[in-house]
Amino acid sequence: MSARTVDVLVVGGGLAGAMAALAAKARGASVLLVRRSPGATALSGGALGVAPDLDALPADPLLGRRSPLESARRLAVRRPSHPYAVLGVHDLEEALGFAGANLSALVEPPDGRPRFLVHVSGGLAECALCLRSQAAGDLRRVRGLAAVIGFSGHLGFDPRLVAAAVERLMAAGGPRAAFAEAAAFTGPGEGALRPVELARALELPGAAEALGAAIRAVLPRGATVALVAPVLGLDPAARVHARVEAAAGLPVAEVVSDPPSVPGLRLDAALLARLAGAGVEVLHGEIAAGSGPGQPVHVGGATFEARAWVLATGRFIGGGLLRNERLVEPLFGLPVLASEVGAGGLTLAGRPPVSLTVRERTAAQPLLAAGVSVDALCRPLDERGAPLHPRLYAAGALIGGHEHAADQTGLGVAILSGWIAGRGAAATGGEG
Amino acid sequence: MPSLHALLYLGWRAVLVEPIKRLFQRGSGLDRFQAAYAEDRLSTTSLVDREIAFEAARCIGCGLCESGCRLLSASPAIRALGLPAAFRLVGRSPGDLAGAHDLLEACQGCAGCRAHCPTGVPMARVLGNLWMKAESSR
Repeated sequence: MSARTVDVLVVGGGLAGAMAALAAKARGASVLLVRRSPGATALSGGALGVAPDLDALPADPLLGRRSPLESARRLAVRRPSHPYAVLGVHDLEEALGFAGANLSALVEPPDGRPRFLVHVSGGLAECALCLRSQAAGDLRRVRGLAAVIGFSGHLGFDPRLVAAAVERLMAAGGPRAAFAEAAAFTGPGEGALRPVELARALELPGAAEALGAAIRAVLPRGATVALVAPVLGLDPAARVHARVEAAAGLPVAEVVSDPPSVPGLRLDAALLARLAGAGVEVLHGEIAAGSGPGQPVHVGGATFEARAWVLATGRFIGGGLLRNERLVEPLFGLPVLASEVGAGGLTLAGRPPVSLTVRERTAAQPLLAAGVSVDALCRPLDERGAPLHPRLYAAGALIGGHEHAADQTGLGVAILSGWIAGRGAAATGGEG
Repeated sequence: MPSLHALLYLGWRAVLVEPIKRLFQRGSGLDRFQAAYAEDRLSTTSLVDREIAFEAARCIGCGLCESGCRLLSASPAIRALGLPAAFRLVGRSPGDLAGAHDLLEACQGCAGCRAHCPTGVPMARVLGNLWMKAESSR
């Protein structure tokens, strides 16, 4: 069987893989993306964190917080092993703009300021990009009264908890908050519906409009925005958020979700739709270990040869790293680096993974910052610090040196590294 | 130094009691082992069970599989429990699985969950194995 040749093969279809594929495609390369399933991106709450202002105190005014770009620059100076330091943040603004433009159907474009969104648990998420359905809930912009609206049939969202969290931020310049409960999902058996099912139910004709009307009926006097549970539809094409908003008669915003996350699944669906629209071929399947750039690879009965490869296989959730007796990158056996955050070069990856966590919860966890090390062009490095292959790139959480959840920089790193890796792969893969 | 009394007792068991006992025993060691635990409805762990347990251990309980589960909209029992909750049954003895039998039987192995699993757990295989154990304990 003859192998079909593509310029760039991207392994992994989360945000990093999608950015790499789109960036390579934008440079004129032919791109094939292989993915097994939704990854950590689909588990994200929908807010795309780039870099939090590490110097800000909880009581500091929201308006005074540094921009995500400036925060990323400062983080890169402080943490020499963080991907922002390794890759450089000079391209971050362009990469974020690229991501915003490609996902403009679903994502609110970056405006250079941090957004502050409240989480379903009452926490505060600081992000650079967010879904359009979340944008009206940016506490920095809300004027007047934020009404947190629960749904009587949905027990997974506590409006009282979220309203109390918003109230606590009043001192920092956040809005006033109140809560109310709208009669929704009260039919027989609906009380046990899970977020995914609620989201599907709202896609049906008339359902989103009915929810909007129920919200309108219980709005406290003076409410300027309604914060609701993150269940407003799975399919971006169903436009559930816009329909609810039209019927409610005021801006409506989803709060940031916990997993399983409906906004995360919607983001995942939007990535797939954009890849298809841009002409990136997407195959669902797995790649056997051992192949590499320039060698044939078998995916779902077809054989391909790619001049350049981008690995965006994620970390422990996506399967890019395995915890066996030691940490392993299963596809190529790339050297894995696990070091204390900030202590670059200290290799702990040979140790059993259980020994790479420390009891103190707030301390740096080497296991959670494990990954491959790369050069400034996103090429994985061997133990001596030289690129393993001139046309092999890595992107996203597979790159070590950052705790992508705790740092709140995970999706920012995915966007930046995906963009750099995709452009690099297109340049080297298009030469042959 | 171990106590003399303990050494004498072990010697007495090894030289006299155990050989005489063996003369009157029936069946293989495995049979007797299983008979001894039958009352507690415990069974041995096969190599396949072990393999499946390792695969099931990759579950991180994220719940993405539920978005691909056809049963979720069909059965209130499964809805209340949630598909990832079935993974808490892995490693339980067959006797403990009796209550989950109907739930496990309802799964037709459509594998819609598999395509949604970020960590690649072969869910149909895990649930099929659980069902077989639940069936055997009826």
